[in-house]
Amino acid sequence: MAEHYSSFRRGGTLWLLQRVTAVFLIGVLAFHFVMLHFVNHAADVTFLGTQARMSELTYFAAMWLFLVTAAFHGINGVYNALINMGLDGRGKKAVAGVLVVAGVALVFQGTRVALAMSNLV
Amino acid sequence: MSTQVESDETETEEATESDAEPSPGDVRRAEKEARAAEQAAEAQREAEEQAIADQETVRIKVFRYDPEVEDKEEPRFDDFTVPYHRGMTVLDGLIYARDTFDSSLTFRHSCRQAVCGSDALFINGRQRLACKTQIQDLDTPVRVEPLPHQDVVKDLVVDMQHFYDQMESVEPYFDPDDLPDGDLEEQRQTPENRETVKMATRCIWCGACMSSCNIAAGDNQYLGPAAINKAYQFAMDEREGELKKEDRLRILEQEHGVWRCQTQFSCTEVCPKDIPLTEHIQELKREAVKSNLKFW
Amino acid sequence: MWAWILHKFTGWVLIGYLFVHVATLSTVTAGAGGELYTNTLQGLEGLLLIRFLEVGLFAVAIFHILNGIRLLFVDLTIGLTVQDKTFYLSLLLTGAITVASIPTFLGGAF
Repeated sequence: MAEHYSSFRRGGTLWLLQRVTAVFLIGVLAFHFVMLHFVNHAADVTFLGTQARMSELTYFAAMWLFLVTAAFHGINGVYNALINMGLDGRGKKAVAGVLVVAGVALVFQGTRVALAMSNLV
Repeated sequence: MSTQVESDETETEEATESDAEPSPGDVRRAEKEARAAEQAAEAQREAEEQAIADQETVRIKVFRYDPEVEDKEEPRFDDFTVPYHRGMTVLDGLIYARDTFDSSLTFRHSCRQAVCGSDALFINGRQRLACKTQIQDLDTPVRVEPLPHQDVVKDLVVDMQHFYDQMESVEPYFDPDDLPDGDLEEQRQTPENRETVKMATRCIWCGACMSSCNIAAGDNQYLGPAAINKAYQFAMDEREGELKKEDRLRILEQEHGVWRCQTQFSCTEVCPKDIPLTEHIQELKREAVKSNLKFW
Repeated sequence: MWAWILHKFTGWVLIGYLFVHVATLSTVTAGAGGELYTNTLQGLEGLLLIRFLEVGLFAVAIFHILNGIRLLFVDLTIGLTVQDKTFYLSLLLTGAITVASIPTFLGGAF
């Protein structure tokens, strides 16, 4: 195994991460739905209620991880769907760039929103 | 009267062997035999007439296309009504249609026993081998088309070169790291190992699987289930050795290798040799992940 | 084949929604105080169309989750021989759970 290079080049990492994030997302997305529609009713939403939930550190951390993993899982999913449809060469590189930027922007803005919802900062 | 003389003679002969006249019992038996023979002949005549009268037929709609013939530059479907007999396959029907109705009908076939892989076609909306598909199992009219997702050369013949290219690219041959020391020493394989690769060896290169895969249709560089299965057969063969397995995995781990498989399962469903293609691809993904995680 | 198609379709819907979701929340969390937030969101919840869209989103998410669980089992090479049955099961459960959730989603909308 001395000549073992980083697995990044082999394409297996993204595949594995897609599965790992999937497992996490099953739990946290179900939790999000139950929390916001069944435990609390969406029609009764108030900023104070949201702020109370988001100010709890564990809840906030869970929501932030939700954001990051969902962004990765979704954007990687879109990337794979496009490759399966034949995206190749320069187009592929361009799209990959756009997707990475979109993902970073999503996480960045989502973090700002999450912080605005809490009183942690 | 010459006859009388003869009858005198025969009568004289008969007189010496038996009674001069047949007994009533003999007469009745003779009559009975004659009646039976007549009835048998009558029954046979009737059966033959019946067979010709309500001979069963089946309608086959066949895709026609020939860029070199003016009439067939635009693809169309030709209707053939062929006589049906029990146990008839789609290939039988096509051969009859070609031999009797239209000798320009073109399709590949060879062994007609599901081992050569020549006659994979799109029959009633599904990839099947024409020689292995019983007409009695199909809804009529039977619709026969060339394999989808490949260029059509003429009628039911598709360009298989891309399929063969993908197969060749995985080095589908036994290639051990080192040969045994002795000149006549065998390279042994355990029964368990053989069992692992047994199903993979059944591939007849028919192309049905690749034609059924939506990812192979969209992504031209995807190796395809058949190629990955062939690679599986040799990668999982313990006789080849670790170095060769690494090389094989390297080919398979490329972006358009095993990772393109989205477990659609269509390949497994249409394989005429019942090879669990998706399962083999999944096992190779696990092999790849396991070998990559071992960063020590 | 349909499992793959539906998983892709629901996937696109969900990632599209995620972008819309963050964009909407960005708008309503801007500025001081929570009035914009509360009023906008409660206003949206007052629209019957939004309630129906929520049920739709729920169904989409449920299918993607359930079929995703099925795919995870497939990736662990478990249950490969019954993969078509597990697909029908995930469709069935999606329908059942969605129907069961309708009262909750539409509660108080009329």
